[in-house]
Amino acid sequence: MHPYELELEAVALGALVPPVNETRREPVRGQPRVADAAAKFPLTLDDDQPASSGTAVATRGLSKSYGQRRVLADIDLRIAPGEFVAIVGRSGCGKSTLLRLLAGLDDADAGGITFDGATRAQDLRGHRSDTRIMFQEARLLPWKSVVDNVALGLAAKGGRQRALDALAQVGLVERAGDWPAVLSGGQRQRVALARALVHAPRLLLLDEPLGALDALTRIEMQRLIESLWQRHGFTAVLVTHDVSEAIALADRVLLIDEHRIAFDQRIELARPRSRGQGGFAQHEQRLLDRVLAAPPSTVAAEPVHASADEVLS
Amino acid sequence: MRRGTAFALPAVVLIAWELASASGWLSTRVLPEPLAVLRAFWTLSLSGEIWHHVAVSTWRALSGFALGGSLALVLGLLTGSSRTAETLLDSTLQMLRNIPPLALIPLVILWFGIDESAKLFLVSLGVFFPIYINTFHGIRSVDKGLIEMARSYGLSGWPLYRDVILPGALPAILVGVRFSLGFMWVILIVAETISAQAGIGYMTMNAREFLQTDVVLVGILLYALLGKLADLLSKGLERWWLRWHPGYQAADARA
Repeated sequence: MHPYELELEAVALGALVPPVNETRREPVRGQPRVADAAAKFPLTLDDDQPASSGTAVATRGLSKSYGQRRVLADIDLRIAPGEFVAIVGRSGCGKSTLLRLLAGLDDADAGGITFDGATRAQDLRGHRSDTRIMFQEARLLPWKSVVDNVALGLAAKGGRQRALDALAQVGLVERAGDWPAVLSGGQRQRVALARALVHAPRLLLLDEPLGALDALTRIEMQRLIESLWQRHGFTAVLVTHDVSEAIALADRVLLIDEHRIAFDQRIELARPRSRGQGGFAQHEQRLLDRVLAAPPSTVAAEPVHASADEVLS
Repeated sequence: MRRGTAFALPAVVLIAWELASASGWLSTRVLPEPLAVLRAFWTLSLSGEIWHHVAVSTWRALSGFALGGSLALVLGLLTGSSRTAETLLDSTLQMLRNIPPLALIPLVILWFGIDESAKLFLVSLGVFFPIYINTFHGIRSVDKGLIEMARSYGLSGWPLYRDVILPGALPAILVGVRFSLGFMWVILIVAETISAQAGIGYMTMNAREFLQTDVVLVGILLYALLGKLADLLSKGLERWWLRWHPGYQAADARA
């Protein structure tokens, strides 16, 4: 076990104190509750940032199968502008697939997605210029320096300066000239975060970006993501298998089970959150109970990304 | 210290060889003494004859390499990037690959006679397949996750190719280049010994007629030297182009 993890376990045990001001909400199954919540959702943003800088996302009847295997069925979801939503679920439950559909990396079999009420404005391959995704691996180009990785897809003129500014925001400006190979895992993810932020996304999709990091780096990264989200006001969707991470960051936690959204929990704890905070442990326990109550998923590993057959096209 | 140890064995062999020749134990018809080889090299370079041959051979090697190599690169990129091109071309090329280039010599002589174009053809053919196969493989083995990432960042067409696919395939392409540079000299030696009016191969075959073993040896050593030079060149290219790659960094940079 990692030495830090022991320490963190101790913190977690200390967190089991009575709740102070937790708003009790009974878990309600079904879609109307989701739509209702999204409409009334209060934004926790800085005053100087307009709430409109995030994209409103809605899906209707979204379904996806890989071959005979059904992954998602009839997903109705509404995400308010600037909202931070976490999606949890067992491995292989389809949470990453939902994110890939939102990102336009895969196409849905049925149903549709609207952004700000309109069907997607996108290029031929389905990518929206105001949507950025962070993967579990940093996916940095090893043959480009850190700053050139961040500047990927920017216009040559002024792109470098914007990349340096983004690197400064994640605290890595002094590593701008290094190769990605010499960075640690956490630093690579910070570069990937800067690369996503430099495009000023209105929707940031996070596909377990902290899954491979050690416990201490994870907490640092969570704080960084939270502060950047508060500063920029983008809509964030985080897929994670870590329930406490979901509670630490999200306004709303969704549980996907049996191809559907099985549970939708609003988290109204003051930010920045810590595990010792009143109510945190209760939320965590309730979510864990729900995850564990669900029968083990019969589906195997999540699908790998579609092979890029014609790379020239 | 380690450098010195690496050269110890060749030095011992050289000294033993010199002693064996000087004592008359080794006939000059089998092997001339090392000093005679040096002398032959010296007189040949003073007369300028050797440089003429080296220049002719190097020109043949490089132009054949440029021709076959660039053709292989283009076709490799094409079949690697497009399934249509692969089904159309790849199985044909793989079939041709199994023919040793040197087996074509009789046909090549009939087609091109014995002048420059025959040598150019053979060298081009020899360097073609290592570069073609490695380019194809390199393109196919580019990390699909990186391509997906780049696409989601709005890259497509030529920028995607330049920033992601080509650099990703470069390590494999350079392996092919290094392999074919070695093969380039092998083909050229054979081509030049068959028929030529100039070149290192011509020089050695000529010397053989007059039993000048020292000149023959000069020719052989020249081939070794040029081969080593080509290898160093490609190593240098790897160091520079793959300097981002932890596996290709210079030893001192890693420490």
